Amino acid sequence: MSKEKDILKWFEGEISTEEIKKRHSEEDFSTLEKLGFYAKQIEAPKIDAQAALADFKARNLKRTKPKVVRLNFNSVLKVAAVLVVMLTSSYFLFFNTNKSFSTHIAQTEIVYLPDNSEVILNAQSKLVYNKKQWKQKRILELEGEAFFKVSKGETFTVKTEVGAIQVLGTQFNVKERINYFEVQCYEGSVQVQYNAVKTVLTPGKSFRVVNGEVSPAADFVSKNPSWLANESSFDNVPLWQVIAELQIQYNIIIVADNIDTFQKFSGSFTHTDKNIALQSVTIPLKLSYKIDGENVTFYTYEAN
Amino acid sequence: MSSPKHKLCEESFFNSFYLEHVQAVNNFAFYKCGDKAASLDFVQDAFAKIWENCSKIDFTKAKTYLFTTVNNLFLNTVRHQKVVMTYEKEKPYMDRTNLSPEYLMEEEEFKQKLMSAISGLSAEQREVFLLNRIEGKKYREIAELLDISQKTVEKRMSGALKILRAKVEEIKI
Repeated sequence: MSKEKDILKWFEGEISTEEIKKRHSEEDFSTLEKLGFYAKQIEAPKIDAQAALADFKARNLKRTKPKVVRLNFNSVLKVAAVLVVMLTSSYFLFFNTNKSFSTHIAQTEIVYLPDNSEVILNAQSKLVYNKKQWKQKRILELEGEAFFKVSKGETFTVKTEVGAIQVLGTQFNVKERINYFEVQCYEGSVQVQYNAVKTVLTPGKSFRVVNGEVSPAADFVSKNPSWLANESSFDNVPLWQVIAELQIQYNIIIVADNIDTFQKFSGSFTHTDKNIALQSVTIPLKLSYKIDGENVTFYTYEAN
Repeated sequence: MSSPKHKLCEESFFNSFYLEHVQAVNNFAFYKCGDKAASLDFVQDAFAKIWENCSKIDFTKAKTYLFTTVNNLFLNTVRHQKVVMTYEKEKPYMDRTNLSPEYLMEEEEFKQKLMSAISGLSAEQREVFLLNRIEGKKYREIAELLDISQKTVEKRMSGALKILRAKVEEIKI
């Protein structure tokens, strides 16, 4: 085996004739040596390269043209259409610059706006603003109730379904519930637009709309809305509105079928204790209540 | 498009490629078939294929393509052709000092036997053997040229040597 390898090496010129004879002295290498020697003398035909090339050119070959594949506009349009759909949908999915905050029943949330204005959302409320356009226009939309501490700057607008509030820099509370709209000014001045009528509020003044009618409200002296201190305060407010607020703050359903819900209520209730809150609403109105799970029934105790 | 792929389509580039490789590839074809005219035909046909398909061939692989094409063209033709090879004239004998007519006769006889033995080799063995002998190529270079493994080259070389030796010695006895 190694002899065979050595012969291969010998023919490749790796080892010399003397060397292989020494390694395998028993072997007669004369035939191999001879055939190796004379095989080298075999004549390879000399090619006149230039003549061969000229000969080759005389063949007059036809060259296959590279295939040209025409752009199929239909498929391009299809791809483009898919791309357009994907890009627009992804724009609305990922580049939606509207910021939205919402609170559930019995929950409040503090929202800081890009200009350091502060919004405190009361329960069951929703706030939406456009982050991108905020620098140009300070506009936000509100459903529910929120207290605003607005940093000084350009006009700050709060839009609600009922009316718009415009300020420059101030503190005010907006309450927009079903059939009830109230703006209270705590600092600076607030301009309320309701049905194209503009009203300017100064601190301590309120603007109230009940069932679509502007209703007068007494002045107040507090520095902050009472709900920030876990309390809801009412001044000459119809009972149904108080009931609605109770339902939102305590996640209960109040049935008040046999009583006059249009009677006015002045006072407040706490957000921390359901029984005390119910008592503070019912007792001044000479009412009583029954709790049955989430259901609360109001009734006049005189009737019983 | 001026990518290197299509350089072969340029006439000047193709011409230099042709001139560079025509001798080597012709030798290769000749060792395979042992026929001068036939080998040149294979070579010209192979170059024609490259010329016609220039746009499809990567020019870095053009040389391999050329040799492979010659190989394939050869395989497509009738395999048992008569091998017509000759020795170069006026080459010295092994023992340059011994010029006795007997010695010269013996050597000429040996050369004839060797030639007939080479004709009897398979085309694969012959091409490896002659590439090694005439061109002095290493087994690794032959393997690269034929696009086969070096082990295969060595196997074919060993086989060729065994056959040649046996044939030459047998006739001798």
